[in-house]
Amino acid sequence: MASQNMDPAAAASNAARKGSETTGSVSKGSVTKRLQQELMTLMMSGDKGISAFPESDNLFKWIGTIDGAQGTVYEGLRYKLSLEFPSGYPYNAPRVKFITACFHPNVDENGFICLDILKDKWSALYDVRSILLSIQSLLGEPNNESPLNSAAAELWDDQEAFKAHLRATNKN
Amino acid sequence: MPQGLTEAWNTVTSELLSPVPTNSSTSEVLSGALAFLCEHGLSQYAEGWLLETLQVRLTTVVAPEFWTGLKQPDGELEEKDRAAALLRAFRKLLQQLEPFLGGLERLGTWQEEGHGRPCGPGARGLTERAFSVIRAILLFSPPPVLQERVLEFYRRTFSVHMSQSGEAVVAQEGAVEPNLGGLCPGCDAVHRLCWCQEALHQLQELSHILSRLQLLERVSSEAITSILHKRIEQRMEQRCRGEYESSFLTDFTEWLEQILGWLSRVFTSKVEEACDNAMPIDENSGQQANPLLHRWHCHMHQFFCRIYVNMRIEELFSIIRDFPESIPAIEDLKFCLERTNQRQQLLTSLKSAFETRLLHPGVHTSDIITVYISAIKALRELDPSMVILQVACQPIRKYLRTREDTVRQIVGSLTGDAEGCSDLANELSRADPVTLETQDSEDEGSDPEDWTPDPTDALTDKTGSKRRSSDIISLLVSIYGSKEIFINEYKTVLADRLLHQLNYNTAREIRNVELLKLRFGESHMHYCEVMLKDVADSRRINSNIREEESRLPPEEQPTLPLSAMILSSEFWPQLKEEKMELPAVVSKAMEDYTHRFEKLKAMRTLRWKPHLGSVTLDVELEDRTMSNLTVSPIHAAIILHFQEKGTWTLEDLSAVLGVPQEMVRRKLALWQQQGVVREEGGGRYTIQETSSSRERSDRSVMLIDSDEEGDSNTATQSEQREEKLQLFWAYIQAMLTNLESMTLERIHSMLRMFVAAGPGVTEMDVNELQSFLQKKVRAHELIVSTGVYRLPKTTQ
Repeated sequence: MASQNMDPAAAASNAARKGSETTGSVSKGSVTKRLQQELMTLMMSGDKGISAFPESDNLFKWIGTIDGAQGTVYEGLRYKLSLEFPSGYPYNAPRVKFITACFHPNVDENGFICLDILKDKWSALYDVRSILLSIQSLLGEPNNESPLNSAAAELWDDQEAFKAHLRATNKN
Repeated sequence: MPQGLTEAWNTVTSELLSPVPTNSSTSEVLSGALAFLCEHGLSQYAEGWLLETLQVRLTTVVAPEFWTGLKQPDGELEEKDRAAALLRAFRKLLQQLEPFLGGLERLGTWQEEGHGRPCGPGARGLTERAFSVIRAILLFSPPPVLQERVLEFYRRTFSVHMSQSGEAVVAQEGAVEPNLGGLCPGCDAVHRLCWCQEALHQLQELSHILSRLQLLERVSSEAITSILHKRIEQRMEQRCRGEYESSFLTDFTEWLEQILGWLSRVFTSKVEEACDNAMPIDENSGQQANPLLHRWHCHMHQFFCRIYVNMRIEELFSIIRDFPESIPAIEDLKFCLERTNQRQQLLTSLKSAFETRLLHPGVHTSDIITVYISAIKALRELDPSMVILQVACQPIRKYLRTREDTVRQIVGSLTGDAEGCSDLANELSRADPVTLETQDSEDEGSDPEDWTPDPTDALTDKTGSKRRSSDIISLLVSIYGSKEIFINEYKTVLADRLLHQLNYNTAREIRNVELLKLRFGESHMHYCEVMLKDVADSRRINSNIREEESRLPPEEQPTLPLSAMILSSEFWPQLKEEKMELPAVVSKAMEDYTHRFEKLKAMRTLRWKPHLGSVTLDVELEDRTMSNLTVSPIHAAIILHFQEKGTWTLEDLSAVLGVPQEMVRRKLALWQQQGVVREEGGGRYTIQETSSSRERSDRSVMLIDSDEEGDSNTATQSEQREEKLQLFWAYIQAMLTNLESMTLERIHSMLRMFVAAGPGVTEMDVNELQSFLQKKVRAHELIVSTGVYRLPKTTQ
């Protein structure tokens, strides 16, 4: 049951499909408002190591930046991500992927991320800030049970080698 | 050649040029001869010959003679003689041309009688042609001497006329003292030699001659124009410049009527050939009878308006400054401006006057606002469409936006705090306030029939003419585009006021808030109402607690009487945060108070702001007592510590108070000044229990609180601005972190798009942003190259 994740506006338009599209535009307005609010929160929070901003005048496409956390093999490395928000946001999860190539057990060669809260565990209570923080912590604590990148998963146990590999591959 | 043809021709030529007036017999002879010529088809040669002769005569004899006649009295001649010479020259000219004109007339009449069959242009056409020839030859390139003479002559007759028809006016003018030195006001000659009458006769004769020759306008219009211009200008300079407090329109209209009398002398002979000296003719009938005169009358009015507008445009800044004393000048200007096409000139001039005289750093903000208010009042009189106001004051509004204290000044004068500027306070308490809210809505009341188009110089912006307000308060408030800023500022001012007086007396504030509510709407003033209510509640709670205390047994009575101002922190502006440890006695009293308050208001407690407020105390020393000193809490705390110990070092005091040493030193200055504490070497301070009498007399003047650095307890506008800049900086950093590098324009547009405009967060214009970014570049927090900004690599 993920009923709290249902977009009420979407549900309403499902119920009355032949109704006009006005509900759609109303919900779009509220999505904009929500994203604007999230941006404000993110700006005011002043978290170190994570950041995001709309790519252009389109509020539905953002660029994010994550610095590898201190004490992890990713320390000193900086990764860029893209965040795309569907019109059903926040009831539908945003599409998040790495732009910078990232050697990590749960990230594939195209930058796709295997993270539960971006998939089935998504809730409207999450926001950009919590997504970025989750990804930042995922870097340091991968889930090796279901790796997308098995080479990285195997190498993970040897932290020194992993770090050397990162340094060698990452020109950042 | 037919017989008798030569004879007939001779008859015609001699007859046509004969200066003797025609009688019936000669006329018979002439027509006979003409008929004879006509029979032979030669009649048209007669007119050709006549015009030809006229032309030859004119070029060879008449014109040169005229010019020499005019120049002849060379040298040091009296003006009077020059006038006579001018007249003589024209007289002679007429004399010489008269035969031709007569001949042409006769020929024309003969043609018109039908003898000449349909050949020849008739009398009218013939004379027209002759006059063209005269004008062409005589005035093709007139030497300047003619204009000089004519000008001089007209000027003289002008003053003669004016002196005769308006003794009173001349007397008032003061420039010419009529009886002083025994000179005639008209001709500047000794009375004995006065030639006023003569001059008027001459004028009349000259006018006759000129109009006979149809040269009147040709010769005199230039001179008349220049005289009128000069005289109007002169009079205006003498009487109106710098005088804004009375209207000059009627005065000038009367004066112009007098001038009209003179003009009618100049132009009259055209209509009334045999007009005698019974001048001046009635203006009205004169105007109607003589289109020429009427035209000149219009010209003259036009001159007047134009000259007047020119002068007032120059002075407009001073007129505005002197408003409302200068209302008459404004009204005159309005009248004249409607008749001339000089709005554009007025706008440009006024704008540049504002820029050079008002909008520079040397002028105090309150003065700028005062002038702006006067400008609003004055210009809405001048131009009810408000276009001039809107356009001309654009620079002022723009400039005020850059001044930091603008809002504070405006709010100050709205509430009647600012000295010397009660305009706004009066405006606020006006009977029919314009609500700022309803202003944006359509004004349904106006009838579409009453609509008038905007003048062409209106700004073509989105706001239509109905939005163009003349209400002073709305204009001032709209400088910043939002009323929130003003309301916030008012909140700050109100908080300051309430916290400064501490006597719970809010009658004036309540009145102001009510008045502002009418302007800004109830909802916006909600916070202020809560603040006022806090004050009223505090008073009640205080008396409640006081009463409770009085019922306690004497040994439990509080050691110091404490009254509190209880503020709802949500609704008050941010108060300055300062840390200070209070002496135990005081903290104890505060604690007790808090307990009583908690009992009174369940679920509520108090958080004290120890540095705010005031303390009234008596200082008792060995040989003297100072009573009823009102000082700030920190002063009181310091002196209280000296009660326990006579000598303190700065360090100890600072430690005990929890306040930086520097601050303690500054605060101690008050007690040193009072002669209560003396500084010894090594940062030690000792109480002075006894003081020499000399010192005491010196200190009779109490300077309480002279060291207070800032009056305000609330965060200032510039602090709020800092806060806003911090927010912007967070956005800019995030942008550059994620998007790497951006141009100034891109940053600006991103900020505009994404910074949600909260209260107090207004837009930043590009220039402001640029200087902000440059500051960050200087602080090495930002890198700029070729117009692209990026963050330095090290910040990770």
